[in-house]
Parts: sequence; structure tokens; C-alpha cells
Amino acid sequence: MASSCSQALKQHVCKSSTILRVHLQKSWPKRSFVLNSAADQQPAVSSPEEIVIPKKKTWSKEAVLQALASTVSRDPTASDYRLQDDPYLTPKTSSEFKLFSLSQESGKNAAKYFINTYPKYFQKDYAQPHIPCLMPETLEAQIEEVSEAALIERIHMRKVKAAVDLYDQLQQAGTPVSLDVTNQLLDLICFYGDSDPAQENVPEQRNEETEDVQDEPQTKKGRASKASDQLKAAWKENNNAERIFALLSEPNTHSYSALIRGMVKYGAYSKAFSTYTDLLNNRLKADVNTFNALITAAPEVKEKYNEKWELIVDLLKELAEQKIKPNLLTLNGVLKALRRCGTLGKSQAFPVLSEMKALSIDPSLASYNHLLGIFYKPGAPFLGQTDILQEVMNEVSGKSFTPQDPDDAQFFITAVRICLDTKDIEQAYSVHELLGVGENWRLLGNDLQQNIYYARFFSLLCMMENIDVMLKWYRDLVPSVYYPSSNIMRDLLQALDTDNRLDLIPQIWKDIKQLGHANRQKLVEDLLTLMAREKQDQEVQESFAECALDIKKMYDTGDRGKVIMSWTATSLSDVISVLLAAQRRQDAWEILKLFKTHNRVPSEELLNKFLTCVTESGEVNHAVELVQISAGFCLPETPKLIQRVQQEFQLSEQQKNILSDLEIQTFNSD
Amino acid sequence: MAAYITHPALSSLCKINCNINAIYSLISFSRRISISSVLSTSAVTTESEAAGQGVRGQRRSKRQAGEPRTERMTVDQDWTAVYPTAASFKPSTVPLPVRMGYPVKRGVPPAKKGNLELIKIPNFLHLTPVAIKKHCEALKQFCTEWPSALDSDEKCMKHFPIQVQSKEFVSAGLSLKNPDARIVTLKVKLSSLNLDDHARKKMIKLGEERYCKDTDTLTITTDSCPLRQQNYDYAMYLLTVLYHESWKTEAWEQEKTRADMEEYEWEDSPSQKNVLDTLLRMRPLGAKDEVEELLGQPAVQEYRDTMLRLKNEGETEENLHKYKEAVKKLFNI
Repeated sequence: MASSCSQALKQHVCKSSTILRVHLQKSWPKRSFVLNSAADQQPAVSSPEEIVIPKKKTWSKEAVLQALASTVSRDPTASDYRLQDDPYLTPKTSSEFKLFSLSQESGKNAAKYFINTYPKYFQKDYAQPHIPCLMPETLEAQIEEVSEAALIERIHMRKVKAAVDLYDQLQQAGTPVSLDVTNQLLDLICFYGDSDPAQENVPEQRNEETEDVQDEPQTKKGRASKASDQLKAAWKENNNAERIFALLSEPNTHSYSALIRGMVKYGAYSKAFSTYTDLLNNRLKADVNTFNALITAAPEVKEKYNEKWELIVDLLKELAEQKIKPNLLTLNGVLKALRRCGTLGKSQAFPVLSEMKALSIDPSLASYNHLLGIFYKPGAPFLGQTDILQEVMNEVSGKSFTPQDPDDAQFFITAVRICLDTKDIEQAYSVHELLGVGENWRLLGNDLQQNIYYARFFSLLCMMENIDVMLKWYRDLVPSVYYPSSNIMRDLLQALDTDNRLDLIPQIWKDIKQLGHANRQKLVEDLLTLMAREKQDQEVQESFAECALDIKKMYDTGDRGKVIMSWTATSLSDVISVLLAAQRRQDAWEILKLFKTHNRVPSEELLNKFLTCVTESGEVNHAVELVQISAGFCLPETPKLIQRVQQEFQLSEQQKNILSDLEIQTFNSD
Repeated sequence: MAAYITHPALSSLCKINCNINAIYSLISFSRRISISSVLSTSAVTTESEAAGQGVRGQRRSKRQAGEPRTERMTVDQDWTAVYPTAASFKPSTVPLPVRMGYPVKRGVPPAKKGNLELIKIPNFLHLTPVAIKKHCEALKQFCTEWPSALDSDEKCMKHFPIQVQSKEFVSAGLSLKNPDARIVTLKVKLSSLNLDDHARKKMIKLGEERYCKDTDTLTITTDSCPLRQQNYDYAMYLLTVLYHESWKTEAWEQEKTRADMEEYEWEDSPSQKNVLDTLLRMRPLGAKDEVEELLGQPAVQEYRDTMLRLKNEGETEENLHKYKEAVKKLFNI
């Protein structure tokens, strides 16, 4: 509705500019937008007073927008920018967020599906300037006849099976296919592992967890294989890639490279190495991508640490012999392999880094991630290694990184895990600061990784910082960026307890309810215990009482007769203590009755406390009923209670009789 | 996902062509059934539940709206982050208790929640003074320095007498281009142009309503070409042509009559003739005077001045008063 209204309003910002009659230029050497110098068109104005007119600056088309966008910072109360900003449509739990963002994507995909399936209804172009990605795409190959051009087209459209079939047809027809095109075909097959890639109108591949499993039976048709499924596919024997490769009369470096990389990607490591020896036997040179693939494969083919390392060193020596320049992926491959080399990794990591720096390869976040992985093995004790993280953070602080390696996204969660394990809050802050620099937020990864990062960050905060700082972070990040799990809420409650800020509990309970954790038994019981432990000031106690009554509603049976949580004796007594401390006797009385209905036994101190309260109020009937309840449960406390009642109250004849009956009863049962 | 599956069913239904009402109602009934069977299983259960809901009462609890964002906003928050761009009014985002609308039946104007009046009007929540300051700071890098020699308006007017204005438009819509952006307005003061008396009068006559007498400015607005550059060139061309044409004197300009004159001239006017007549009649008989002598008298000159003032500047108290004095002096009253 907001978007349609804004279109209806047509917000015009009209800016009148008074241009003096000058046209000159000047280049501006700063920032991300592109400034180029334009040609000087008219002569400068000269006059006796020496008016010097500066040259006009030129900039790229988006420069002004980018400059204005840099003035906008993050809004801590807003949810994700993709979602509608409305209290009903803002997700409150992490599963809702997932649902909403996925449904938005699925809507877009449905629209794209319609546009691509019926392109003849979507030919009119309204947008000025033309926006190519909104026009229908052709999904089917256009060229029908058996020719090389048709093969190239199918390769561009990434139709693996169709391309292979066409290639076979071309071979049978006797038309020679050039080496370049065959190399492109080999690239295609080896990249996709000899099966067609996932279609593009499937929702984005973030649903790797089990929450999507229940969707599977319903979506049997029309759902192509996910990308994650493809990677688990293994390299089959004698598949199309090898067959086509064998048909090549003179395979060159590119063909070998494609084949080796495909083999390594799909798990055929030893085959990759044998293909490499073939390449060497044919006296061909490999290229840097081949070596990267082989280095990645090296830890898989050898068992012992030093053998792995020697193989990698051999490969690197051959790389140097063939005068090929290593690139960033080589460095990352070596470091990744070193992670699996045990203690050898620690000694070799830094020499590798310095050699690569000498070759002017700048390490990316993935390299630092592997470094941290080498030195901080999860679960291992840390003996004087905390300075590695410090050094790494010193290196990367203030820099903005672009994604260059798929493992870049792991850096932040590894770093924060190490901070959590070493309980280093300062480093955690510097890691979080790095996240705010430039484009680094893109490297936090998908939703799952984001959740892990923030969960660890919050646990560390709960452990180490005092409650004010903790709450400041809490209000900043929740729920706009992160929806905490119930464990984090428990950590938060513990932190509140440590800092003696139990008066904030009702607020936290409101948040817990909103986040959807109100049905977690453990969390709620912890909350109740904290509230019931001590007596607080009047208004705090009042708020506790409200909170307790709210919690009681959660225990009641739901709308469809489904029981969400079940009462335990402790939780019931906690609720009653809180209510009694707030002088709400009537509510406490009703809850006392619940003991019977839910088959729970009240403790003796609870009954004593209740009796004290009743004494204050002077309700004799309640006292007698209390004793009757206690007798009903056959509690050993009953005689003492009877005595107390007889002492402290003025009893009527009837009540005295009831009490004496009970006394005899209990005496007899003893 | 449901969208993929409903489509074949709907398209097949669209192809069904029927004229008979009975069949139409049958098909609408079957459409309801086919849609409900085609939706995913969870939706089917909601439909059947919804059907039974009216009988058994509300069984499913409706999803509740959360509290509005305004509850969590702090007093010292960064407003430019909440409304960075032009957006419609969102009651749950703006923490002000505004009311708008006609108070019906001695009530109050309606509150902001669900108030369409507040959404319809344009708002400038994205352009608070703080925001504008930030934008200016960010845009300073695109600006060059002002030449230090041009430190007053007069100097600017002296060195750069021609002012060209054009507007740029930014809007969110189907097209980035706005046809009004091609209009170019050129303003120049005639005093800064090198014109003699005749050229100036001719230029003003040629300019017609484009000339403003109070500010002595000639304003040329061009919008006949599709591009701004073309309009600018056309405006400069018009200025040049006007200038050169006003310096030329055509043959037919000699035929300029008194009615074409811009200003009132006393010489050869009926007023002069009347004064002469009167003066000549006032002379004693037999005296012969020259016209120039008569006209050269100071009283006559004064009368001439007041006449000119009256006719050119209009009738004001002061001018009429001076005229009265001049006439009195003329007749020696």
C-alpha cells in the first residue's frame, strides 16, 4: 500500500539551479564513484580583475546518490529493508522472518515465471531508461539446426544435457567442432558435474535446515534439484566430460584444466592427480587454476601430515618451475590445507603468508579465517596463542574487503567463536567494528551464519559485560537484526541476576513472549524462580505480580484444547509466592486450587507462608480451608498447621469441630 | 509455490466460454472446488476450518499485530535513518500524536492510526533541517570553489550579465525523464547591453511582453525544442538576433507616428500648440514674438516639464500639484 501511495503522490523534488555561463572541468580523486575529466569546451573568461573560474568536476551517474546514501545510518528499531514497515507485517520471531522473506522471494519468482512463460504479453517497455532485467528472458534455445552456433548458444544458456546431445550430433554428422568451443563445453560440464543446473525460479537457496523438510512431500513436481544436492553428487566413471575429453585429438591446457577442476570439485581426487601426470607427460603447461584445484585436493589423497605438506610443496615448486604466478586462491588453498596438517600447519603458516605477500598477493578474509582455524582448534586449550587474533585484527581493522573467496563468509563467525572461547570482549568489539566498515557487512554470510554470529556475540556480552552495556546492545540489535534463541534469553536472565537488576524482568518477559519463546518450559520456570526468590519493593512486586498472572495464562489450555506447558510444583509455588508478596490473596487462592487439579503437591514452606499471609488478613475461613487442603494432600505438616490455626485465630464452634476432626484424622493416619 | 499450480487451473477456466446462467453458476461452483483442491494442503485445512468456524466459534487465534515501532524509539534517535527518503506517512513509524480530519458531530479530528488523510498529503519528514545539513555536507565534494574576485552581486552582474535558469526534476515513477526539464529561461538587463536610444526602444518593442520595465530585464523563455541544450542555444540565438536587429534601422521606421511613440514628447504636441496659442493671445496687440523665444521662457519650460511628468509617469498628487503651480506661473496668477 505504501508503494502504490507513493506512486500516486508522485513525490517531485524539484531543484532549480542557476547556472552561470561557464563550462570547465576538474578531476576529483576520491570515493567510490567514477570521476573522469571531460573535454574543455569553451575558453576561460579573462578580465583585468583576474577572475579565475575553476574547472567543472564530472562524476559517474550514481555518484550523487551514493554520496547522499552515505549520510544514512542504520535504524535500530526497523526490521529488514525488504519487508513492509507495519506492525502487523513485521516479523517477531526468526521463523516468521524466514517465512516472510522467503515468501517475498517466492512472489518475485512467480512473477518472473509468468513473464518468462508468456513473453508475448510483456513486450511493452514503459521504463525510461530501459531496464533489461525486467523484460522477459528467452528460456528456450532459439537456434534449432545442428551447428556450432547452436552449441555455443546452449552453452551460454547453461543447458548441459542439451549441449552434450548437440555435440554428439555434431560429431556424428562429421562437422568438426573447434577446440575453443569444445573447451567451453568441457568447462560447462565440469562445472555442473554433468547434470543440469537448478532452475532460477526456485526460491533462494537458504533453506538448508530441516525446517524445509515438511515442504518436500507437497512440492514433488516442478522443483529442480537444489544446489546443495548437486555438490553431493559424485564424479561418475566415464561420464560425458571424460568421454568428450578422450575424443579430443589435441587437448590443450584449458581442456586439462577444466577436467582436473571438475574432478576435484566432485570428489574424484586421485583421478585428478593422474590426469595431471598425463598433462605433464604430454609436456603441456598447467595454469594457475589447475594448481589451485590440485592443492585443494592434496589433503584428501594423502594421510599423514608431512606427506600432505610435501605434496603441496612439490606442487608449488612445479608452479614456480612452469613460471605461473600464484593468485589469492592459491594462498587460500594452501592455508586451508594447512588446517588439516596439525602442528605442521602452525609452523608453516607464517612463512607461506610472507612468501605470498612478497609476490604481492594481499590476503583476503578467507586467508585470515584459515589462519585462525590453524591456530585455534575448537576444543583445544589455549596456551599463549591469544595474540594471533590480536595480530589478525590489527591487520584487518579499518579495511573494507570485497568477496573474493567463498570462505570469506566464515571469518566473522570463526573470529567471534574464538573471542567467546577466550572470553575476550575487546577483540569481540573490534570484530564487530570491522563489520561496520564499508562493504564488510556483505561478508557476514546468509541468515544462518548471521544468527550464529550474533548468538555467540550475545553470549559473550552476557558473560563479560555489565547489564547496562548489555541492554544497550540488546536494544540496538534486537529485534531488528537478530532474533535471539531461548538459550540467549536465559543467559540474559542470568546476567540480570548477576547485576541485581531483577526489576527488568517484566520487560524481558514481554520480549520473550514476542519472540515466541513463551512456551519453553525451562525458560519460563527460570523466570518464575528468579521472580520468586526475594521480596522486592512495592512497585516492582506489582509488576512481578502482573507478569506472573500473564505467565499463568500461558499455562492454560490453548484455543484448540492443546496444552502448551504443564505446571510443576515449583512453578506453581513460585507464582503463589510472587502473588502473596504483592498482597494479591485472591489470585493466589485461585492458583492454590490448581494444585489439586494438576495433581501437584505444595511444599510446606509454601503453606506456612500462605498461612502467615492469611493471618495478616484475618480470614478465618481461608485458614480453615487451607488446613483442609493440606489434610487432603496428607502432608506431614498438617498437625503443625492445625496448631497454628488454633493458636492464632479466633475460631467458631463449627470450625473448631472441623479442626479437631482433622487432627484426629491425621493422628490416626500417623 | 501455489502460484505455479493455480495457473493451469485458472487458464483452463478462462477458456471456458458460456452464456447460460445455469452452467455459469455450475462452473463458478466447480471453480471454488477446483481452487480449494489445488491449493496446498495446509490451506485446505484452513478453508475447511474456516467453514466450520462459523458454526463452532473462533477456534484459530488470529495473529496479533505487534506494538508499533514508536514505543521503542528513543528520544535522541537519528531521525534521518528512520525517514531517509520520501515515503508516505506511516503511523507506526512517526512518533508524533498528529490528528487530521474533520471533527464529526462535535468530536475531535481523527487520530493518526489508519488515517488516510495523513497518507494522501505529501510530507517532508525526510527533509528535516538536520537531514538537509547532512545532505549539503555530502554534496559539498561535488562543488568547486567560488572565484574570490566575484565577491559582490554587482561584480557578478557586471562580469556575467546574462543569467540562464533551468530546472531538474527527481521523481520515482516509470520514467526518469520529466518533459519540464527542457525549459530554459534567459534573463538579461538591457542596461548592460550596448544600445543607443533608438536600439533600446526598438528592442523593447520587439520584446513585447518579455521586457519588464521595473527591473529593466528582458526574459526569454524557450521550450519549443525537446532538449535543454537546444533550448539554450535557441535562447542565445534569439538574444543575438534581437540585438542586431535593434541596431539596424529599416526604411519604414521613418513612418513612426506619434501613436507609436513609447514616451510622450512635448515638442509638436497639441499641448505645445495650445500653450503657444494662449501665450500669443496673451500678448498685447502688435507685438511680434518669435516662437523660440516664447518657448524658451522658464515658465513655459516648467510647464513642459510638468506635462511630461504627468503624461509619462501618471497622475499623482505631487505631479498634479506641480502642474497647478506651473499653470499659475504661466498665467501670472
